[in-house]
Amino acid sequence: MRRAIRDNALGLCFLLLFLLSLAGQSVSGLAAFNEEQVAQGGAPISWAAYVTSSDFGVDVAENWQSEYLQFFLYILITVWLVQRGSPESKEPGEEGQESDADQKVGRHAGADSPAWARAGGWRLTLFSHSLGAVMGLIFVLSWLAQSVAGVAAYDAERLSRLEDPVGWTTYVTSAEFWNRTLQNWQSEFLAVASMVLLAVFLRERGSPQSKKVGDPHAAPVPGR
Amino acid sequence: MRATAVVCLLLLVTGCASAGGDPAARTAARFLSAAAQGRGQQACDLLTPRAAESVDDCATEILSMGLRAGAVGDTQVYGDEAQVRVGGDTVFLHRFPGGWRVRAAGCRPRSGQPYECEVEA
Repeated sequence: MRRAIRDNALGLCFLLLFLLSLAGQSVSGLAAFNEEQVAQGGAPISWAAYVTSSDFGVDVAENWQSEYLQFFLYILITVWLVQRGSPESKEPGEEGQESDADQKVGRHAGADSPAWARAGGWRLTLFSHSLGAVMGLIFVLSWLAQSVAGVAAYDAERLSRLEDPVGWTTYVTSAEFWNRTLQNWQSEFLAVASMVLLAVFLRERGSPQSKKVGDPHAAPVPGR
Repeated sequence: MRATAVVCLLLLVTGCASAGGDPAARTAARFLSAAAQGRGQQACDLLTPRAAESVDDCATEILSMGLRAGAVGDTQVYGDEAQVRVGGDTVFLHRFPGGWRVRAAGCRPRSGQPYECEVEA
């Protein structure tokens, strides 16, 4: 048990942080929502009603979609683009999908390689892009969820302002939807650019996300 | 609306626009009937507290606003807010723990602006 926890400590830690943050968001979000309800002459709602509301749904989904977009794009773009000296990147000259030997697929697969890496055909193609595909799928579903929950929350707000509700197609072309979307995207892209560039010159001793403290700035990352 | 609800369920996003608009529509119809038939106090009892406070001598004044009963038309419910078309009138409601209450009635649309209402919170 202790061994299993230790072997999976990184994933478990972030899952725990996710749950704690989500719980915190639900409590603070409820307080903010009820504050606005009362200010508009409405009635406060319960925690259970809030966490099943479109307001909570859109706030959660809009952050999820941007995070998954960030990883989806990073996974794909780093196949083709490099940043010299960054531990987040391959080195110049390594752009592209690499040879079967490099990727240990087909007849180059080892005895301990996943079965679909040896299989060839559609199974190899699917498995070769499974990480990007799943991250991309979660991004699309999260973005769709944001739009569906978002239009419901937006229409509730419009009704409270004595305005007509709008449909989904109007909402997804509205300033409200794109403002929610782009304010998340810009922060994700800035964070990725910062990580890629700062990791060339800065170090975090012991972190696999960093080069060794003594590694030169512009040199290839050893072992890659 | 039902399709929207299914999508929401599939995506584990709940709380989308409810398809159960009838209680809101019934409250709107009862409110307008009371106002149109001279039962001012009953009409005022169906207003939100803030809307009721916005009308001086509510039970009397509500009868002079020209509110008319009619056939209930399109009803839209999102979260705790609803909009009901009754005859030529548009009524806005808010859901309280005890049920729906009218927050605005006698409303007419204005281009690019919120509705203009005879009574509103």
